Amino acid sequence: MKFFKKPEARALIALAFVLIIGFAFNADGAFFKWTTHRDMLRYISVFAILGCGMTLVIITAGIDLSVGSVVGLTAVLFSLFSIQYGWSAWLVIPVVLLAGMACGMVSGTLISKWGMQPFIATLAMMVFARGTAKWISGGKKVSTAVMQSDGSYKYVDVPAIYNFISAKILHNNIAIVTIIFLVCALVAYIVLSKLRWGRYMFAIGGNEEASRLSGVPVVATKLIAYGLCGLFAAVAGICQAAQEQQGDPESGMSYELTAIAIVVIGGTSLAGGRGGIGLTIIGALTIGYLEKILSINAVGEAYRLMLTGIIIAAAVLFQKTRKK
Amino acid sequence: MKTKVFLLIALSLVIFACEKKESEKAPVKKSGPLTIGMSQCNLGEPWRVQMNEDIKQAAAKQKELKVVFKDAQNDSLKQVAQIEEFINAGVDAIIVSPKEAAPLTPVVKAAFEKGIPIIVLDRRVNGDNYTCFIGADNKKIGKAAGEWIVQKLKGKGKVVELKGLMTSTPGQDRHSGFRSGIEGSDVEIIFDVDMKWLEPAARKEMESALARFKDINLVYAHNDPGAHGAYLAAKAAGREKDILFVGIDGLPQEGQMYVKQGILAASFEYPTGGKEAVDTAVEIFNGQIPEKEITLRSRVFTTKNIDRGGVLL
Repeated sequence: MKFFKKPEARALIALAFVLIIGFAFNADGAFFKWTTHRDMLRYISVFAILGCGMTLVIITAGIDLSVGSVVGLTAVLFSLFSIQYGWSAWLVIPVVLLAGMACGMVSGTLISKWGMQPFIATLAMMVFARGTAKWISGGKKVSTAVMQSDGSYKYVDVPAIYNFISAKILHNNIAIVTIIFLVCALVAYIVLSKLRWGRYMFAIGGNEEASRLSGVPVVATKLIAYGLCGLFAAVAGICQAAQEQQGDPESGMSYELTAIAIVVIGGTSLAGGRGGIGLTIIGALTIGYLEKILSINAVGEAYRLMLTGIIIAAAVLFQKTRKK
Repeated sequence: MKTKVFLLIALSLVIFACEKKESEKAPVKKSGPLTIGMSQCNLGEPWRVQMNEDIKQAAAKQKELKVVFKDAQNDSLKQVAQIEEFINAGVDAIIVSPKEAAPLTPVVKAAFEKGIPIIVLDRRVNGDNYTCFIGADNKKIGKAAGEWIVQKLKGKGKVVELKGLMTSTPGQDRHSGFRSGIEGSDVEIIFDVDMKWLEPAARKEMESALARFKDINLVYAHNDPGAHGAYLAAKAAGREKDILFVGIDGLPQEGQMYVKQGILAASFEYPTGGKEAVDTAVEIFNGQIPEKEITLRSRVFTTKNIDRGGVLL
């Protein structure tokens, strides 16, 4: 029975429960096709990438509400630089990643240096980044239609990097964005489990005051956590833009909520100090399968929202019972 | 910065123009520098950004016309406050694209009763206390799309319908209009879901449709981004050549571009009416009484007619 006390086991049970629903409502066998699973993995990858960064932040007992807006901002920047300015991908990607990281570092500074509540600081960043995305793009999607000075449009080709990121490999069996997610998960795993910064994150989440007194560099650790969260958001933004073939200033709207749901369903505690990337991967699969099952059965929007709410609540409650 | 420069230029134009005006004595009811207040319910949708753009361009063609833009950020009460500000500022006319009817009706009425011409654009208010309503008919556009699809498929085929938010009137009308357009034909809707106007959602739903059905002839999406998302899903599955994609809105940088690129078979324009609103305001300034209701005609862009700028429906 000890097995069931582990958060991994509980998260897997929740996932298995969702899969059983999928077996029962398989939409004329569509659920049993590999392509359905492949497409689910593609769709959930952007959210799961956000979930990786969110896991780090949540483990320090923080939260980052700005990741959705940073997706929008970085998607716009990525498209602007690569499509409209025609910069090379080798230049665009680092610049955009740095921009995302900068957003996270600003939130991190507000929180760690100036003692702002994570909720408030990242809420401010969420509004600010969205505004910046709209300002840079002029409120329009940055697409392959480039506006000329006389108001007409010139249509250009989408840069090769877009097709590369939105492609599938291994005989069309897995999307590149899914691979990117796995790389992000690996990076987050290394940070959390192999580097001392990861131990510091757990320590701060467990008891910030105690860790400060025992010499943990709280400010630097938090900056790293939020900076990485912003960096992962930029990765997600690039994936989003590549898949949409344009930079939409509205993209990533409310993605932060899905990212938080993924982390929490996995079993990482919002109180901080407990959790892990493995849990987040399971959480991502749970949310991904849930959405996919509702989608292939063409369930109406109202029922989808209701069912998703119930299942999130049930999964988290199930996680909670282990404490007793 | 851009807006500041624009305002500065507009202002100097107005001052310059009004000096000239003294000698002209044209038979206008209202003369001198004129100001239109434009209250946009939100600028989150590219279509509304385009509407403001159209208004800006139409106003730039008039000599002494300044337009003040306000964005209510999808908040009805903020929009009410902004129209009140226009009334208090004593603008010469107001254009309003309301977020919703009920909360905006009293303030529109107040402006109307104060004698300020008020032009309601796209969405309606209740009653008839306004100067002029300009809008397109989503039901008609949906029906035209339905009829075009029946013709294109020669009366028979399997269609996926990707709906906009079904709690919004455009979504409902584009749905019911479409259904009445295909009525009596053998066009069959095999999969219909709500993609909430969002491209990534449309792509996800289309992937599900592709997983379930081997045979899909056409996708009808309630907006062009939806149709584009569906195309991307089909392309990823290597099935984009077997399926036709039809969308609505026909913005130059979206639907029209997709048609030009051969991604969409057709895009049905949902005109913004921005130009018509400014023209109507100018008419009023010239002492004419506009029609109470102007229904905009929309165009259809297809791969055949896109280079000629589409065909009026």
